[in-house]
Amino acid sequence: MRHIFKYSFISFLLIVLQATIMHLVTLEEITPDILAIWVVYLALSEGQLHATIWGFAIGLCFDLVTGNFIGLSALTKTMTGFVAGYFFNETRTRLTLGSYRFLLIVLLASLIQNTAYFIIFTRGTDIGLFQAVVRFGLTTTLYTGTLSLIPIFKFSRQSLM
Amino acid sequence: MQRLLNIIRFFKEYFVLGLLVIISLLLLSSNNNRQVRAIRSFTVGFVGAIQQALSVVPNVLELKNENAVLRQLNVNLSDEVSRLRDARLENLRLRTMLGLKERSPFHVLAADVVAKNLYLLRNTITLNVGEADGVKPDMPIISESGLVGKVITTSSHYAVGQLMFNRDFRASAKVLRSGVDGIIGWNGEDIVHLRNVGKKQDVQRGDIVVTSEYSNLFPRGIRIGVVSGTSEKPGSLLKDIEITPAANFTTLEQVFVVLVNPDPERVSLEQKTLSR
Repeated sequence: MRHIFKYSFISFLLIVLQATIMHLVTLEEITPDILAIWVVYLALSEGQLHATIWGFAIGLCFDLVTGNFIGLSALTKTMTGFVAGYFFNETRTRLTLGSYRFLLIVLLASLIQNTAYFIIFTRGTDIGLFQAVVRFGLTTTLYTGTLSLIPIFKFSRQSLM
Repeated sequence: MQRLLNIIRFFKEYFVLGLLVIISLLLLSSNNNRQVRAIRSFTVGFVGAIQQALSVVPNVLELKNENAVLRQLNVNLSDEVSRLRDARLENLRLRTMLGLKERSPFHVLAADVVAKNLYLLRNTITLNVGEADGVKPDMPIISESGLVGKVITTSSHYAVGQLMFNRDFRASAKVLRSGVDGIIGWNGEDIVHLRNVGKKQDVQRGDIVVTSEYSNLFPRGIRIGVVSGTSEKPGSLLKDIEITPAANFTTLEQVFVVLVNPDPERVSLEQKTLSR
């Protein structure tokens, strides 16, 4: 119960951060997705079922906050939580969070999420499928993966101490 | 039930994923932006292509139902065609009869043949007109082709007619071309005979035979038939003249009763003369 409040609060802060601040670090129209990192963290901490539900809830809240495309982030963040949940190991959570494995999981989950997101998001425009996947999906994934190094450093230092 | 719950419990992550994906897709479809319109358009095209590809595979159940419906329709249409064909034939027949009625110098009454008896030596037909319609015994019966016979008995609403193909039938007749006269009678064949014609009388094959003015019952000029053959018997003074009747008795459906009565004065005088 305590975790729910904590996770809800952090989720709310990150949603606001993603919606308001993150565009400041946008490079060539590519914005890193801190919510994806957060959902992967939840998946590795709480398991697949919880991460799937959290992913949906966070994505839906983000859609409602931005009013951009209701349901799209809910769908893709649900996928992120579900995919990342496959790597849940209760006994190795801290080790995973503080190692390169976290980066790889973020990259994999983020790649799936962004591919789905941009394929849908770019429909009805001149942007083709390949461009949507490579130009937006892959680069956003790499940018998000880069950002995921921050929690890796944090958790690796904690595990050292 | 317990087993189902166990399955759901075992695959709960997948069930939750499926549920949340469905909710997400429903939310997505509630948007009306260019992306959703494009996806809808693509989906419609995709589903249409699949349906078109699958349409070559026959749906057996649908084909069976369609077949049953088509068979029923076929029966209905066949029935309708049959009735229309009957109506057309009846129409043609009635038109011909109407033409006869208009041409006929006599008062005639149209009647339907409601019964036929064509297998005896005394062939008869029953008509659906009777005394209430003014029909009396001895009135001639004609069709659009020619003489049929005469009325022999009547009731209020029915009349029985004696056909030419009846051993008791007699009619005074003449050959239209030469004016040779005789008496029509039947011997049980498909033809009638013109009797009492001398060997030297001019009668040829193909001559038209009509009722003569000598008849007390039949008005003059009603077509009886065509001479189909003549022959002479050795030792006889008379010719045997075969006449093919103009009317076809086997297909009779509608006829006319000629509303004429024999002149009573003439009948009385002739009977008086014969009784002397």
